[in-house]
Amino acid sequence: MYADTQNDITRQVVRAAQLLLAYGAESDLVEELSQRLGRALGLASVELSISANALVMTSLVHGRCVTTTRRIREHGINMAVVCELQRICLLAEKGLYGPNEVRKRLARIHPRTYPRWALIPTIALSCASFCHLSGGDLFACLITFLASSVGMYVRLLLAARHFNVLINFAVTAFVTTLIAQLGYFQPITETPRLAMAAAVLMLVPGFPMINAISDMVKGHLNVGISRWGQATLMTVSSVIGMTIAMQLGGLL
Amino acid sequence: MELLLVLLNDAFFSAIPAVGFAMLFNVPRRFLVFCAIAGSIGHCARTIMMRGGLPIEWSTFAAAAIIGVITIAFAKRHLAPPLLYAVAAIIPMIPGSYAYNTVIAIVQLTASQSLQPELLNSAVTNGLKTIFILGALSVGLAMPALVYYRTRPII
Repeated sequence: MYADTQNDITRQVVRAAQLLLAYGAESDLVEELSQRLGRALGLASVELSISANALVMTSLVHGRCVTTTRRIREHGINMAVVCELQRICLLAEKGLYGPNEVRKRLARIHPRTYPRWALIPTIALSCASFCHLSGGDLFACLITFLASSVGMYVRLLLAARHFNVLINFAVTAFVTTLIAQLGYFQPITETPRLAMAAAVLMLVPGFPMINAISDMVKGHLNVGISRWGQATLMTVSSVIGMTIAMQLGGLL
Repeated sequence: MELLLVLLNDAFFSAIPAVGFAMLFNVPRRFLVFCAIAGSIGHCARTIMMRGGLPIEWSTFAAAAIIGVITIAFAKRHLAPPLLYAVAAIIPMIPGSYAYNTVIAIVQLTASQSLQPELLNSAVTNGLKTIFILGALSVGLAMPALVYYRTRPII
């Protein structure tokens, strides 16, 4: 293999690993997929070192090493991208894709998200279901639906304006809790507390938390701890937003 | 008969959050229904075990392990990573009201002048429940990979 080819293949593989990490795959999956993709494209070995916000990769062919570093910026969770990268790896492993096809398909990846009009009602319905599952009555569920749909709208608005995720969570929790307090002031529901607890559940950092534990259990301790820290900060900032709203409403 | 109604109620109302959160994580549309199926099965399993007298932590752990097994079957069929289905499917079992009670008790403790035993009690008991249920969820989900797929890739 020529040095140019090795450089090119290494670039494709590190691009795949960078995309996987940026869109929220767990470290074990990133390591496994990039090693398999590298081997399928003809590299003798691929070694990865993943840290909280960077990625170092070394590829080895015929005793020649290429090491490259990539910075990773968080782009939010997008499972469609992760799924697509898994497909590319499997196709390359079966021998259907060579380096050129992989490059073309990697260049075509762009993260698609669900439109706002679909996301807001489903998330609001989800929070209303949480309220029902924990035993809230009909009006509590309606209050939850209203509060979390407004909250989700604010959250998507702030995310589209590229605000820091912690600020975003604090403001969203504030708005949601402010509206969810309605049950305390109008005697329409027996369970105002459940409505408030359920409405902010859309801010649960599910993916960072599961990824964190999964990383730590499988031995990627430093990435796991940093993801755990991120999840904790997100929770704390939503608690701050909730507290301010409840103090404004005189509930604390 | 009554159990069946409870289970149907559980299945329906845990399928909705599973789909909602799957959309938040941008799971492709053709996989959404599988997230819903895994979420309903997991929540129903937990309800059955809790009615059988198991504590909530252990039933959550077992239900998460069941979800792990189901989602690996889905993943093998569709050639997609298993966490794609699994994280959305465990969302209905997140201990939301325990976490809420913990947080409110801690905030009230901060605001009060002296240490009040009932607030401290609420903070500690609810907090421990929250932490252990969350741990049970995520470790239970990793169980198939840790026990069965030790040396080979899942897909």
